[in-house]
Amino acid sequence: MKTIFGRLLWAAVAVAAAFCLAGIAVTRGEPINSLWLVLAAALTYLLGFRFYARFIAAKVMALDNDRATPAERLRNGHDFEPTNKWILFGHHFAAIAGPGPLVGPVLAAQFGYLPGTLWIIIGAVLGGAVQDFVILFCSMRRDGKSLGQMAREEIGKVGGFTALLTVLLIMVILLAVIALVVVNALKGSPWGTFTIAATMPIAIFMGLYLRYWRPGKVLEVSVIGFLLVVAAIFGGQTVAQSATLAPIFTLSGVALALAVIIYGFFASALPVWLLLAPRDYLSTFVKLGVVLMLAIGIVLVRPQLQLPAFTRFVDGTGPIFAGKIFPFCFITIACGAISGFHSLISSGTTPKMIGKEWHAWPVGYGSMCLESFVAIMAMIAACALQPGVYFAVNSPAGVVGTTPEAAVATISSWGFPVTAGEMTELAHDVGENTLYYRTGGAPSLALGMAHIFAKTGGGRMVLGFWYHFAIMFEALFILTIIDAGTRVGRFMLQDWLGHLWKPLGRTSWMPGVILTSAAIVMAWGYFLYQGVQDPLGGINSLWPLFGISNQLLAAVALCVATTILVKMHRARYMWITCIPLVWLVIVTFTAGYQKLFSPIPRVGFLARAAQLQAALDAGQVAAAKVAEQQRLIFNERLDAVVCGVFLVLVTTILVDSIRVWVGILRGTREARVTETPFVLSRLRPEEI
Amino acid sequence: MKRLKRFGSLILELLRELSDENAYRRHLAAHGRTHSRQEWQKFSNARLLARYVRPKCC
Repeated sequence: MKTIFGRLLWAAVAVAAAFCLAGIAVTRGEPINSLWLVLAAALTYLLGFRFYARFIAAKVMALDNDRATPAERLRNGHDFEPTNKWILFGHHFAAIAGPGPLVGPVLAAQFGYLPGTLWIIIGAVLGGAVQDFVILFCSMRRDGKSLGQMAREEIGKVGGFTALLTVLLIMVILLAVIALVVVNALKGSPWGTFTIAATMPIAIFMGLYLRYWRPGKVLEVSVIGFLLVVAAIFGGQTVAQSATLAPIFTLSGVALALAVIIYGFFASALPVWLLLAPRDYLSTFVKLGVVLMLAIGIVLVRPQLQLPAFTRFVDGTGPIFAGKIFPFCFITIACGAISGFHSLISSGTTPKMIGKEWHAWPVGYGSMCLESFVAIMAMIAACALQPGVYFAVNSPAGVVGTTPEAAVATISSWGFPVTAGEMTELAHDVGENTLYYRTGGAPSLALGMAHIFAKTGGGRMVLGFWYHFAIMFEALFILTIIDAGTRVGRFMLQDWLGHLWKPLGRTSWMPGVILTSAAIVMAWGYFLYQGVQDPLGGINSLWPLFGISNQLLAAVALCVATTILVKMHRARYMWITCIPLVWLVIVTFTAGYQKLFSPIPRVGFLARAAQLQAALDAGQVAAAKVAEQQRLIFNERLDAVVCGVFLVLVTTILVDSIRVWVGILRGTREARVTETPFVLSRLRPEEI
Repeated sequence: MKRLKRFGSLILELLRELSDENAYRRHLAAHGRTHSRQEWQKFSNARLLARYVRPKCC
């Protein structure tokens, strides 16, 4: 009876999911309610989790609760500790959730709400969640080894080195692009700049509090830190209204970029307990709280989606970034659908904390579904904005015109009416001088979130507070990623340079620390500076580069996962990892090829370099602008080289992996399984 | 009511896990030590050193 009821219930869920997906897919010409998206996503995740992920867990991985996990066998009270599955679920989700699933969908909304939404849902269920789950399983069966270690052991030395180099390069691009998001959100904004600047002394205060005054009281100091940050938001409003203080905190993009670069250098060299760790604690709690608030807000407010299902920009002429819906929609949204970076987390702390093998099912697959849901919420927040406002905020001056009048005229001519008066009023409501040309996605997301939060109570009176609260929330964890990423890049560089000259490899040798920190900061700082100076807004070049690199890292992870499946004699299930792998290879290589060789200057790096060079050669550039033009040409060529290097690196690992698969399947190569031997679990349920 | 309490304690445990307070308790229990500023600093140094050799997710 129970079985029949269960089957009927799941059949009802499947019908409801299909109904909701069909509802959002076929509706045209009228705004639809955001709850359709929420339901379509939630029900599809449930089905994917219950059936697809369970099939993978039972048939492909053969998860076994009688097998002792590394957390049990190597239990040390530190890294290796069996943890309650729901606590670990939250822990893993907090680790994988970054700015990517928030910003990517906002940018991809230029194609309309439908393509991005479908990619987020389907990509997560068949790709992203599968990748996270399989890599978590592989690492768990190998005592928590990292992706790089697994690549080296399972594919070979070339594969391992390529994976490490890919990670370092991706980090450089990632740090540049997320720093650009912050810079674009804060330029010309004294309120925002003051609030974010205030988070630094607050974090240092928290670090000292935790180190000397109340050691170990992390939750206590996080509550204090949160109250201080909220006070800083109110303080920011006062600063913005002050004739004396406002000019001090009103910075240009270049000034902010330099400030972030200098900050990144010092923050990565400072002791972690002083700035990075306390802010990381705070940003984790704020992140979880805001995600929960946004979910509640969307359910309470149920906003109508103002953007259409498809916009005219599916043809590749989008103002936010250039390129057709295929492949660019699929690389713009990485983290909400499939993100290579997750494989680093799934082969990091999490596998060392799993108490029972079956816990990997909700932790690995379930957490990614939740992250995907965050991306759906970001899409809703962006699409709930008036389309004209959305494009006015996100489009660079180089595309829509350098004056507000020109910008609104251009955007209105696209069929998205907006007036200069509306934009001025909106800027006034959120306490900003202007909202034009705020490329990067963060400001429009903050606007969407602020509207949702304000509608739950307070209305326009509180719009400014919520806008800056959302900016603070985004900047807080972006700056934490910049600190941590620069530090990790420094460690990787020191590890390599240590082979050339030993002192450079010592992480306690200050000249080595300064040299390598400076090298990493200069690497991402250069791309950041380039993005700030770019007349097309920077995002047009850097976000696709980041999307390509992140998806290529996912391809690397899926190569490792497929190799392990083949070695486990599960070749008949290779399709589980090969479907997302083949899709990613098609998408990223198409995008990479177009970014390199497209004849359209806004799309192809080389075409744009040629266009700029032609203008220079024809003497169309004023003498004062020649140096700037030459720098732009160099930047386009540099981006082309970086894009080409990514493609070569991933081709290397792909070819290396296929060589291993073919060898094993033909029987010419030994299928040596490197997982740890079976040990009977003695862990009692009450222990976790 | 019981379920609500259980949910509340689960959330609190999650926050303690995210804040490393649980890990610190385990550290004290595993090594048979008592809480002190020096002990926290020692634990925190090792914990943070291990954490920040890995990139944070985007």
